[in-house]
Amino acid sequence: MVIRKEINWDLETDVIVLGSGGAALTSAILAHDQGAEVIILEKADQVGGTTAFSGGIPWIPMNRYMKDLGMSDSKEAAKKLISHLTGGKEPDPAMVDVFIDNGWRMIDYLHENTPVRFSVPAGYGDYYADLPGGVKEGRSLDPLPFPLNELGEWSEKIRRNPIFPPLTLEEGGAVDPSDIDFTIVAERMEQNITTMGRALVGGLFKAALDRGIETYLETPGKELVMNDDGAVIGVRAEQNGQDYYIGARKGVIIATGGFEWNKELVRSFLKGQITHPQSPATNEGDGLIMAMEAGASLANMGEAWWSPAFVDPTVEYEDRVYNQIDSQARTMANSIIVNKHGKRFANEGSTYMDFPKSFYTYDQTTQSWPNEPPVWLIFDQQLKDRALIVTMAPGEPAPDWVAQANSIRELAEKIEVDPDGLEETVNNFNKHAEHGEDPEFHRGTLFFEQFTTKFAGPKACLGPVSKAPFYALPIYYGALGTNGGPRINEHGQVINLHGKPIPGLYAAGNAAMGVLGPAYPGAGGTIGPALTFGYLAGIHAGNTSSREITKPLKATL
Amino acid sequence: MPSGTYTKELDLSIERVWNFVKDMDNWAPLVPGYMEHEILSDTQSTWTFKGDIGIMKKTVKLQVDITEWKEPSLVTFDLTGLNENFSGNGYFKAEAITEKQTSMTGNLDITANGMMGPMINTILKSFVPKTAEELTEAIANKIIEIETVTREG
Repeated sequence: MVIRKEINWDLETDVIVLGSGGAALTSAILAHDQGAEVIILEKADQVGGTTAFSGGIPWIPMNRYMKDLGMSDSKEAAKKLISHLTGGKEPDPAMVDVFIDNGWRMIDYLHENTPVRFSVPAGYGDYYADLPGGVKEGRSLDPLPFPLNELGEWSEKIRRNPIFPPLTLEEGGAVDPSDIDFTIVAERMEQNITTMGRALVGGLFKAALDRGIETYLETPGKELVMNDDGAVIGVRAEQNGQDYYIGARKGVIIATGGFEWNKELVRSFLKGQITHPQSPATNEGDGLIMAMEAGASLANMGEAWWSPAFVDPTVEYEDRVYNQIDSQARTMANSIIVNKHGKRFANEGSTYMDFPKSFYTYDQTTQSWPNEPPVWLIFDQQLKDRALIVTMAPGEPAPDWVAQANSIRELAEKIEVDPDGLEETVNNFNKHAEHGEDPEFHRGTLFFEQFTTKFAGPKACLGPVSKAPFYALPIYYGALGTNGGPRINEHGQVINLHGKPIPGLYAAGNAAMGVLGPAYPGAGGTIGPALTFGYLAGIHAGNTSSREITKPLKATL
Repeated sequence: MPSGTYTKELDLSIERVWNFVKDMDNWAPLVPGYMEHEILSDTQSTWTFKGDIGIMKKTVKLQVDITEWKEPSLVTFDLTGLNENFSGNGYFKAEAITEKQTSMTGNLDITANGMMGPMINTILKSFVPKTAEELTEAIANKIIEIETVTREG
């Protein structure tokens, strides 16, 4: 519930930031730099949220780093690409303009005022670079390696990133792991130098520490406090099981991540379940609940940053089996993905955002959802011999959690997939794959597929599943995070059900509505808007006139 | 090679220390992250435990082959990963300081191989010494606990 009663504050400040991911830290820095006193409340025992868990790449059109390299870009081009991908389904087209107009300004600000630095990873273009407005390099920015020891006693408090080794995107941090030079990885680990999401968080958090912004870990915001005018003036947080009331003279910025770990909210808003979220388990929609209680209008609620999930059941992260983000093997030759009927249902090499959309297909003829996970990555010894698949290295025996058999039929029986269907699918696929063709789903023709093969052409994505033994791995419903939430305006202010800003309340990142709607134009399509709207929220909150937060309230609830 | 050696002194005779250590079932649950073990023969056993490597936890299965058994002072063994590409060895050594004092030493030496070896070895550099220390300490504490109960009983 929203609290509307007189509060004896345990602490007073100007701006409270809930969360400590990229959007949160950027908003805290900007609010501070407008002259506001800022504190950060983080639910987890580590700093960094979903950003630290991620690749840390912001997708930012017209950024300074691409300009420095002489790469051209324009608002028109970026908007053309985004519009194509959203198909008009973005929650507020004006916010797309706000994003494009301010993303590069945000990057400039961080470059000039914080230790955060990026580079343009060579050859890493938009996921749809071949569409009108797409670019083949420059909008996805790679955080430079960051020495965590610069954070002093906080160096061990930056959220562990179980996904990416300490390599930059360009060095191979997110491509075929078989190509990684693990000696560089070892050196970086020895020196406590990090990359990708942790590097971005490291740089941002260093900026926060340098400014004297205080961060309270294991102190989740639970309820908003509002005054008689309907302005948010504080938060009830919890610390060590006790209520902790903090007053905010200028505003509260909700940047608590998505709600993918909250089964009830997922069931309420999404079109299906997310059984294997690929994010910190603290993302339970705390900010969404608080915003709803304050009367926020919601948008983009049916969307998420979809991603197929793989699992090595022997690996745990924070005492849960870890849901691995995708696998490059999915897009490689000598493999296919089938449903329980043994049938392919999509181009296996499509983006991690696009591929899982097929999971939710309804078949009107059979009145069923034929592609509900687990679906199965079927591959042969050729792929096994050359690729790191999930955690299974080439040349090593397949672990017992990977089904294997000497025939396709036997494999199908082991994983309880229709054997006739799978045999027929593999035979048909192989017949065409031997000629480098896929008439059914046109595998190899998408720009995204070329990342794995290093642009070796469509035929490099295709190869028959023909050499025994054959293997199968289950793929589950996953998401990097949800991206629906309170509707926001050009200042990151939360909008109420009547279209008016709720004074003193802001939202950014996965806790807010996704301004790009269903689109994920390239690496960093998540973090780019998150940082940008964190930047805007911080500027506005920091510049807001202080509210009286100690006068007695009339209303009680 | 990631390795670790840890020594602990106990106010007990070497025979009493050996009496506990000689039976694997006595101290198996004290292995950090222990899940299960199976004794295949006098010299061979398989183990499953959950290793905490900082970033995450990993369930590891390994085979232990005892290579030397010198009662009451030395056991040496080889380790082979069953679900991971690593190998190594170790020893347990007991030395009588006096009739009623014993020095107990645990040693582990593990190396990961394969393409990810360099990275995993970096993690093992802190994991292996920590495990050697924790296991030796746990065994020592258990022996003291049993001996105290025995005496008091």
